[in-house]
Amino acid sequence: MAADSGVVLPRRGFHEDIAAIVIGVALVALALAIGWSGRPAEDAASRKAFPKGWPNRLAATIDKPQTWSDAPKQALVVVDKKDPTKVKPVAIPILLGMAWVVGILAAGTLLRGQSVAAVLPGACLLALLGGLAYLMAAQKVINYYNLEYPLWALLVGLVIGNTIGVGKWLEPALQGEFLIKAGLVVFGAEVLFSRLLELGLPGLLTSWVVTPIVLVVTYLFGVHWMKIPSKSLCMVISADMSVCGVSAAIATGAACKAKKEELSLAIGLSLLFTVAMMVVMPPFIRWAEIDPIVGGAWLGGTIDATGAVVAAGEMLGKELDDKRPAEVAATVKMIQNSMIGIIAFAVAVYWAGWVDRDAAGPKTSLVSEAWRRFPKFILGFIGTSIVCSALFTASPELALLVDGAIQGFTSRLRGWLFCVGFVCMGLQTIFRELAPTLASGRPLILYCLGQALNLALSLAMASLTFGWLFRQGGSP
Amino acid sequence: MTRPSGIPTIPPGLRLALATAILAAVWLVVLPSIGRHPAVARHVRLMEACDANPSAMVYTELERLPLRPAWIERHLVLWPTGN
Repeated sequence: MAADSGVVLPRRGFHEDIAAIVIGVALVALALAIGWSGRPAEDAASRKAFPKGWPNRLAATIDKPQTWSDAPKQALVVVDKKDPTKVKPVAIPILLGMAWVVGILAAGTLLRGQSVAAVLPGACLLALLGGLAYLMAAQKVINYYNLEYPLWALLVGLVIGNTIGVGKWLEPALQGEFLIKAGLVVFGAEVLFSRLLELGLPGLLTSWVVTPIVLVVTYLFGVHWMKIPSKSLCMVISADMSVCGVSAAIATGAACKAKKEELSLAIGLSLLFTVAMMVVMPPFIRWAEIDPIVGGAWLGGTIDATGAVVAAGEMLGKELDDKRPAEVAATVKMIQNSMIGIIAFAVAVYWAGWVDRDAAGPKTSLVSEAWRRFPKFILGFIGTSIVCSALFTASPELALLVDGAIQGFTSRLRGWLFCVGFVCMGLQTIFRELAPTLASGRPLILYCLGQALNLALSLAMASLTFGWLFRQGGSP
Repeated sequence: MTRPSGIPTIPPGLRLALATAILAAVWLVVLPSIGRHPAVARHVRLMEACDANPSAMVYTELERLPLRPAWIERHLVLWPTGN
């Protein structure tokens, strides 16, 4: 990418993965430090006083376009739900969000020993395009039917890349992989291991038994039975379908070095099926008279996207006049969210140790060969996850510090980094490369078969754990 | 330009203008009108009333953190002791 453009000056610098770790860790540390410096004087340990964690001053420096229905300018203000006459403008935090992306791209370029000046003009344009993608995703119909921003970021990039193309001046800034890696290191702060225990043994069994089985079986089916040529495509489809949609696809795609086109395809499939499942599953659960708690757990275990799980849970709850399905669904999904780090790490180890091995290459030990190929940024992802998990469990005050840093800053920043990363991917995606695989329809068949297995196993496990084995008083 | 043209008969600038016009029409005219359809409007109202955010990629983007529900331990044995 940038290094091949001829615009940048080759100098000594860090590897892209190390630059992503340095920047990601520094940003998480900054958010925690700012949160700590502004800790509340009273009720500092009270979850009731601070349901979203301690306020973090960095929250004022970043936001994204708000939902809008008729006119895009509605996206630039937050309307108070209790008093619609009260509005808070967010145009400046949105612009500052773009500025964070430009700054991170510049810092990454500097750390890698390349010319910052060559990157800045393109970085500014990419940040604006990221803002446009966010604005498109914020339209209410799009937003409330779970068509997430990566789809629109890809579309924006694809439209430009396939009409006027990518100018030489923009090429140095096209660092989508770096932005995604830095975003994943920041994302580690949100992957808290303690959340895995939120629903006790029933939650663990539903997530830890079904999810890995579905992932491995779907992957093996795609590679060995369906003979899909790209193993990384099989892995990304399996992960986004079995774990938790786009975020899992991004993490495992980076871990197994999937092509941009493969990640785009997997995300497109996942989002389309998510919309369908979100709409169809709640009425089906009601029609089949499945226990509401089991139904909630089933929704949480099968629908890919977290937001769609909550939406489906609310739709089921509305039909049954019962809040419990939505609460169980969201909590099961959160447990699956918390598995991303472990899954991505396992995929990276498997890929480096077995899939990517060069049989004709020099004979070295499995460990040294695996380490050489291992995507090092995963260590940053796992590292921020472990540190934030440790802080989260250390005391109620530190749990609120971590939650405040995540809600106020790192989650929003990660969103911007992913969004602009997907714009870069769209600009560089050449779908012709996937044409033979797409024409065969095999990725779609793999997704459907994997999802069918996921639906069956999740319903069986949810019925077993939530409906019978661990139910107070035994069977219903 | 680094990418070969797919449709050589239309100049690149015009192709971008056409694509932009189509996207603008979809987002500024089609989607708002779909949003006014009673079934869609009902879905949007329900989601807004529940504070649900269907576009959340992970749990931290939800309006409410999905913490363990207060009623769950009355319904489920979370950690069986074997007694």
